[in-house]
Amino acid sequence: METGSAEVILSIRGVSKSFPGVKALDNVSIDIARGMVHGIVGENGAGKSTLMKILSGVYQKDSGTVIFDGRQIEHVTPHQSMQSGLAIIYQELNLVNTMSVGENIFLGRFKEMKGMRGTHAAARKLLESIASKVSTTRLVSELSMSEKQMVEIAKALSFKSKLIIMDEPSSSLTAEEMVELVKIIRHLKTQGISIIYISHKLDEIFEFCDVVSVMRDGRVIDTKPKTEFSRSELITKMVGRTIENEYPPRPQAVGEVLMEVRSINTQKLHDVSFTLREGEILGFVGLVGSGRTEIVRALFGADRVKGHQVMISGKPVNIRNPKGAKDAGLGFIPEDRKLEGLVLPFSVESNISMASIDRFSRFGFIRKSLEKGIGARQVAALDIRTPSTRVPVGNLSGGNQQKCIVGRWLEISPRIFIMDEPTRGIDVGAKYEIYSLMKKIAENGGSIILISSELPEVLNMSNRVLTIFEGRITGEFDPQSTPTDTIMAAALGLAPGLAGGAT
Amino acid sequence: MNTQVINRAIKGTGSVLREYLVLVMIAVLAAITAIVEPKFVSGANLVNIMRQFGPLIMVSLGMTFVILGNFIDLSVAGTINLVAVVTISLIQPFGQIPALLMGLTLGAVCGALNSVVILTSGALTQAEALFLTFGMSTVYSAIALLYSGGTTMHFWDITKSKSVFEAIGSGSIGPISISFVIFLVLLAALWIFQSQTKEGRAIRLTGGNKTAARLAGVRIKRSIVVIYTIGGFMAGVGAIVLFSRITTAAPVIGAGYETNAILSVVVGGTTLKGGKGSVLRTVMGVLLIILMSNCLDLLGVSTYLQVAVKGAILVFAIWLDNRKQV
Amino acid sequence: MNTLGIGASLFRLATKQKAFIAILVMLVIMVFSGTEFYTAYNLLDMLNSTSILLILAFGVTLTIISGGCDLSIGGILVVSGILAIKLMDYMALSWAIFLAVLFGAVVGAINGFLVVHQRTEPFIITLGTGFLLTGVAQQLTNAHPVPAKNPAFMMIGNGTVHGIPNLVIITVVLFVLFFWLMRYTQFGRNLYAIGGDYEVALYSGINVIRTKWLAFVISGAAAGLAGVLLSAKLNTGSSIYGELTALVVNCGVVVGGTSFAGGIGGIPQSALGLLVFGMLDNVMNMLTITSYIQVLLKGAVIVAIIWLDCFGQKRRRETV
Repeated sequence: METGSAEVILSIRGVSKSFPGVKALDNVSIDIARGMVHGIVGENGAGKSTLMKILSGVYQKDSGTVIFDGRQIEHVTPHQSMQSGLAIIYQELNLVNTMSVGENIFLGRFKEMKGMRGTHAAARKLLESIASKVSTTRLVSELSMSEKQMVEIAKALSFKSKLIIMDEPSSSLTAEEMVELVKIIRHLKTQGISIIYISHKLDEIFEFCDVVSVMRDGRVIDTKPKTEFSRSELITKMVGRTIENEYPPRPQAVGEVLMEVRSINTQKLHDVSFTLREGEILGFVGLVGSGRTEIVRALFGADRVKGHQVMISGKPVNIRNPKGAKDAGLGFIPEDRKLEGLVLPFSVESNISMASIDRFSRFGFIRKSLEKGIGARQVAALDIRTPSTRVPVGNLSGGNQQKCIVGRWLEISPRIFIMDEPTRGIDVGAKYEIYSLMKKIAENGGSIILISSELPEVLNMSNRVLTIFEGRITGEFDPQSTPTDTIMAAALGLAPGLAGGAT
Repeated sequence: MNTQVINRAIKGTGSVLREYLVLVMIAVLAAITAIVEPKFVSGANLVNIMRQFGPLIMVSLGMTFVILGNFIDLSVAGTINLVAVVTISLIQPFGQIPALLMGLTLGAVCGALNSVVILTSGALTQAEALFLTFGMSTVYSAIALLYSGGTTMHFWDITKSKSVFEAIGSGSIGPISISFVIFLVLLAALWIFQSQTKEGRAIRLTGGNKTAARLAGVRIKRSIVVIYTIGGFMAGVGAIVLFSRITTAAPVIGAGYETNAILSVVVGGTTLKGGKGSVLRTVMGVLLIILMSNCLDLLGVSTYLQVAVKGAILVFAIWLDNRKQV
Repeated sequence: MNTLGIGASLFRLATKQKAFIAILVMLVIMVFSGTEFYTAYNLLDMLNSTSILLILAFGVTLTIISGGCDLSIGGILVVSGILAIKLMDYMALSWAIFLAVLFGAVVGAINGFLVVHQRTEPFIITLGTGFLLTGVAQQLTNAHPVPAKNPAFMMIGNGTVHGIPNLVIITVVLFVLFFWLMRYTQFGRNLYAIGGDYEVALYSGINVIRTKWLAFVISGAAAGLAGVLLSAKLNTGSSIYGELTALVVNCGVVVGGTSFAGGIGGIPQSALGLLVFGMLDNVMNMLTITSYIQVLLKGAVIVAIIWLDCFGQKRRRETV
């Protein structure tokens, strides 16, 4: 796994990191050479972001060593990490939107820069060095994404960084802006600055990276010079093989068209139309930020979207808010369990009964005995492990919390179940239980829209997948007969000829 | 393992203690006062304490719902001013029962109006609601001033029958004052509403997590309208009890009720973070404050210093409430 | 998007430049009013009567920019004013004033501790400390105004230099000082960073806790000074200005364009925002509007402005 003979600027050795229930990094070792562009590829959840956060000091590692520029890094703050010459440019950029470009570059160093004039002068010099024309007095909130990235790069340079980590910088850039970024990356390289370039987009990796590491499930699968990788090898290594019995067999009996969605258009979504059949699990495959969550939020009435048509069983329905969606027979497991799904200080029982409140009340009065029955029934049916139905739901493990949300909706037997990242942050055993539940729902004639950042999950559970890229549906596939690479390529916007609406 | 269990037990007892701290404090205060002043346990003093469950408890019961929904209402002072002067002025032309009903309606309308302002502006945080309702309070007070011309209205100027208001103000059934009976009836109704009805549940879910409640199909906008309407209605009830008792209504009589109501609710243990709490807790909060005033009175502490003590208790209660969540 | 056209852009202007527009409207109205509004005497008088609010606002601005707010200033205002008058009997005037201001700073430090270190909600906890202080003020004065006995004290609040009231001069000096503090010092810029994005500020090595805490200390000290000056102006200390002042000042700061969201605004904006209230008072008096209508208009202005602030934020949330 040696990367070559060049001087090593950053050496990561055997770094591990666990979160409750998840091993995010497992014995990771990578060497970054001086003046090289080192690509790191991997699916969502492969551990790339965790690794970056350990390097920058946002997280502390559990074990292993990190040596940067000859010094061991231990318990650094993000600021110390930056000062030592290791800069990270995050996907969600680390700039204060309400302040000017110049001040952002020298945030917290106003005195050092001898006031406003010095700040702006130095900032201008830095921006000029990367050929950026952004005015230093403009507010960051007014900048385009690419301009913000230039500001971040200038900020990194202001610390005389020896290593700059870019976390999916291209995800929000247009093609022209990307050309500019590549120019700057090449320019930085000539200055002897190393770059870690994290991306999904293989084109970029092959265009300008020197060395590539592939990460999967918290491990580094392979590291070698770009020239030794073929495209297909890279994709195969990213996706990995599927472990047997990780998923229950998917349901097969798919019925008539149940729901038809026509032309959802928003600032982020473009003419999104699709159908859903009875007993079908429909997977949405796309990167974070591709618009997959926005589609289901629009459908469920969680965001205000107008102008699209939804037909359920051939009848047009007008869903204006989540309550309307519920009445139309939709259920929704939101992306963020704790912020959007649960009322954490409330009991398991009242979290389960949230959606079915109409069922156990009469003349506006709650019938507690019925509610208790509902809680007990779902806890038993879904095997929710909790000491009682009265304990706060916040005390439960992630998997059991998720099952409470599933149970909440099962109680009103929705015909269409939207699941956005149903297995995020829960352990393998609980995942299997969620999958089995999905299967059972589908077998009973319910339909499911499944969104997940874990490609194997979508591919193994769905009867059909739609790929989504930049707010458009770019393809429709049968995951059982289509090679994974083809689906991945469509989700990365790489497949010409497949673009266009799906039926 | 064993120490863990013990630790948890200690922590458990600690949290139970904190949970019912107000009860403990009530007991301690009552005990101290009873020792210092044996007359404290006399029937006369109990009647006196009962009498103190006056306007403040009404307003506080309404405020409980607003805080349960994770909002706040500073407009009650203005609402009290307005309802008091309007109601008293309506007795002469319309008779006492219509005046009473119109006064209660006016309170509810003021509350509903608050929720309209909040919903249309899209205010989501307590801080935003605080300033908006403060502005509304000023508006209501100004209308009260304009309506009354700034003058104080007195019962003795009313020639028509005002027996209902006199009964509310000073009547009693046996040893129990009528206003206390009204309080008990309203408490029962609100407790049932809060704990036994769908809407009560919706309010608590809204207060616990607006986003999650909305995504589970709970109508949070309706909850917001309901909590402010109840808040306004109960402020109206408070206004009527208040002016019936003092037999006069000035357009400034509501001043200070907003802070005192928040104080009672928070001291009772309803969390400012929303979702958790109860009107029963608010009753305990008010009881604690009454006992404290009683105790401080007996000790000869001035009314003004008592305000400062209340303020200190408020700050402490907010701090404690915040600690509970961390 | 473009169908709204002029209406939308006017609306955007109204949400952004609320204070400026409000002042402009009043200035135009007064041209046609036929009153003595446009006289040096009146304009100075207006500034003079707004000066206390302005000083309070300068301090509050710091807390709001850092992402908090300070509703205890009303309590500090009254207690400091009373303290100055009471202490004067026992020590030199300058010491009395110093201690009164120090008292404000100490209260601010406690507020800051509760908000920053203990992470309580700033608006509710400062409402609580303000309430507490109102009680203290009542106790100190028995709820009766306390007259000052030192004529020098009265001169501070009512004297003039070359026809310009002392209070106006003090306010202008403080304006410059606070403007400099927020615009040209590391501390001020750090406050903007903290309010703009707490995490980014933290990751940039800014001592966020101490900086934000200092904002509350300064706000308290400014309120303490304002209290002293108010007592000097009225030559009495009184407990009757409480919460109302605090809420009006906090609203005024928001009117100027300093948002509760933090990170946005500045001392000039706050000055403009409070001038709206000062000018509104003056204009209403000039137009001989009855006092009750004045209260009504003030309330309506507060609701309208906070409403616009919330509404503007909702818009921003939805377009992101």
